[in-house]
Amino acid sequence: MTDNCPKCWADLRTPLFCESCDEVLDTQNDSPFRILGMAQGFHLDRMSLRKRLLHLSRHLHPDVHGTADDATRDLAQRKTAELNAAFQILEDDFRRASWLVRSLGGPTEETEPQMPQAFLTEVLEWNEAVEEARTSEPGSTESARLAGLEDELRSERKKLMDGVAAKLTPLPELGSPELVEVRHKLNALRYLDRTLCQLEELRLKQANSPS
Amino acid sequence: MAFLELDVLNNDNKAILGIDLGTTNSMVALFRDGRPQVLALEGWADARIPSALFFDEDGTVAVGREARAKAVDEPGASMLSIKRFMGCGLADCENDLSNVPFKASESENGVVAFDIRGRRFTPQQLSARILKHIWDVASDALLEPAPLRAVITVPAYFDDAQRQATRDAARIAGLDVARIVNEPTAASLAYGLDRKKEGTVAVYDLGGGTFDVSILTIEEGVFRVLATAGNTHLGGDDLDRVLVGLALNEIAEQLDEGVKRDPAFLQGVRLAAERTKIELSQKPSAELAVVAPQLGLNWRREVTRPQFEELAQPWIDRTLDACRQALLDAKLKTKDIDEVVLVGGSTRIPAVRLQVESFFGRKPKSELNPDEIVALGAAVQGHVLAGGTREVLLLDVTPLSLGIETVGGAVAKVIQRNSAIPLQATEGFTTYAENQTGIDFHVVQGEREMAKDCRTLGRFKLIGIPPMAAGMAKVAVHFSIDANGILTVTAVENSTSTKASIEVQPMHGLTDDEVEVMLEESFAHARSDFDESRLVNLKVEISTMVRATEKNLHFVADQLDRETRDEIQDAVTAAKKAREGQDFAATQAARDGLEQATLPLAALLMDSVAKAALAGKKLDSF
Repeated sequence: MTDNCPKCWADLRTPLFCESCDEVLDTQNDSPFRILGMAQGFHLDRMSLRKRLLHLSRHLHPDVHGTADDATRDLAQRKTAELNAAFQILEDDFRRASWLVRSLGGPTEETEPQMPQAFLTEVLEWNEAVEEARTSEPGSTESARLAGLEDELRSERKKLMDGVAAKLTPLPELGSPELVEVRHKLNALRYLDRTLCQLEELRLKQANSPS
Repeated sequence: MAFLELDVLNNDNKAILGIDLGTTNSMVALFRDGRPQVLALEGWADARIPSALFFDEDGTVAVGREARAKAVDEPGASMLSIKRFMGCGLADCENDLSNVPFKASESENGVVAFDIRGRRFTPQQLSARILKHIWDVASDALLEPAPLRAVITVPAYFDDAQRQATRDAARIAGLDVARIVNEPTAASLAYGLDRKKEGTVAVYDLGGGTFDVSILTIEEGVFRVLATAGNTHLGGDDLDRVLVGLALNEIAEQLDEGVKRDPAFLQGVRLAAERTKIELSQKPSAELAVVAPQLGLNWRREVTRPQFEELAQPWIDRTLDACRQALLDAKLKTKDIDEVVLVGGSTRIPAVRLQVESFFGRKPKSELNPDEIVALGAAVQGHVLAGGTREVLLLDVTPLSLGIETVGGAVAKVIQRNSAIPLQATEGFTTYAENQTGIDFHVVQGEREMAKDCRTLGRFKLIGIPPMAAGMAKVAVHFSIDANGILTVTAVENSTSTKASIEVQPMHGLTDDEVEVMLEESFAHARSDFDESRLVNLKVEISTMVRATEKNLHFVADQLDRETRDEIQDAVTAAKKAREGQDFAATQAARDGLEQATLPLAALLMDSVAKAALAGKKLDSF
């Protein structure tokens, strides 16, 4: 599905602006894939995603319209904000998968907050380990264990994300029951990311000077 | 401006200054002759403009070099490091106040103000004086009035209040702020432009009062910031203070209690400490002297480099902590960094250089003068904004997370730190009581979990919500951060589509009305210099218009009727006459008259330009 520029009727590669007449457009479109002009799917080429961001920014960013009138600059600002938001979704595996699940009519984290059953027992163990690391004195054995835990969580994360990628390739049909399963995996991923973040902060605190 | 648009290339008025408004020193630059150039007066050994103010007994104010020179003899009447107070309340800057020889108070908006010789000044007003002086220096260096539009740099880690304070200072100074740009980002621009480099760069910027580290990539002329971290109250001033502490410890017995707390005395000791610190970057040891004949004090001692470094170490450690944080946020390791760029006078300290080198595992770049690099980058950005080039683009981030206080005092994050700007986010609110017509909310900036530990940006009050059952109202609050990193908040009630209006109580900020009043006051007090400059600018503009009119009239005279030609001729004569006078209003009127009269000429030219363009297109396409 392609849209046309309301000014010159050229085919649009992005709803943000017309590459043919260089006009910033005020169209509504909330698909980050459409906005960045990327094919919709879980797998995407990071390099071409980044190149698209740079290319679109070069046309849209308010600085490029520094000498234009206020209305154009405001529009450019708004559209660049949309571009930035879309890029933030696509560049991140978790956000991209989560967006795809929702756009295919799958559940959100709020309506379907469970994690996979098998995951839950491990969560309890990990929570305990993190708590222990947090309360113990920073020393060599603790930091070694912290690193071990981090490795374990990372490999678990990779396994889960591979599972999500497999389920989303090719994309399931609209409203497919598989989307519920993907959402459960994503919830587990969210937990892992939060925990990894805590571990990183802990590590940073230990690396940092006591002040 | 009918004509100026046709004559963009001849029109210098569209140029945009680049100003590095520093804690200790400032610098101004302009893009001309194809490159950014620092503006300085002839005979100046270096282009640094001290960010200093000196208040004489007779009410006159000296700024810049003169103020700095006088401050050495009379520290009690001088104001240094005003940048550290920008956007701050009293509680935010207790440490810094010990150096200020003036009584400080706080307005109801939480803005610090100083009582100086019977008048109250906010940091915004004092900064405005420095900005005006910078503009004067630029004008003197250019031998014509400098542009009134400027890109002004701020530390990347400046919060919303500090950015707004900087923008307000510029407005009070009569400058039009084309953009607030982050200092390390500006530096990267000057650096990257200079060598047409691509890759990942870490900018370590330790200035007089602030520290920033930014990690960015340069790719196809796009400078994209990935993460930034820092501390807006960590800089060379703090390193001076460790030497001040050393001196005061050793002379404690010779001083009575009053003197120890006397800001004028302390300011003097600080200036001595600064000299010692600077010398220590050149030599292995230097003298620290506190001489105050009126107190019978003549104390001197040698400070060695290792002694100083030991005292400075906790501060250097904190900068490296921030580097770790920035790398983590950028999801990079030190080995991913291709270049390290040093910015700011404090990076001359050998210990700082060595430790940055060992942290990143590579020798930092320092071919560009660390004092000039920020102003040069600001001038490049000015050139971009003036439409001078599309080869270069800056993509920056917001340094701090933005959140809303929820029940229990916790913070719900609305925007994550290091998100690309401009950006927007919408958060839904509802009412919790029957027929509730207003909602209060508290917006904070910072990384801590509790609202009380973050910086308050504002308390907002949504009013005018139509009465309805609890939980029925759906208010969408829209946060938008512009390319300057400055936040605006708007709100709409969606269930009835009434626009809820919003009342903002700025924290640590001036209201628009206050800025207006200060602007008027500054005109009344500092008068003339600025009115004069506006008049000169206007005259320059008239000259350009007259030149363009005469040139173009010659080409198309036969296509205009006699009446129009006469009108244009009269307007030109009137404008030329006004150019000789001193009356601002009359000059403005003559300029406007000329613009009006030349409209038909401009239209004619546009038409022929368009025809020529079309004709060209036809040729191309066949």
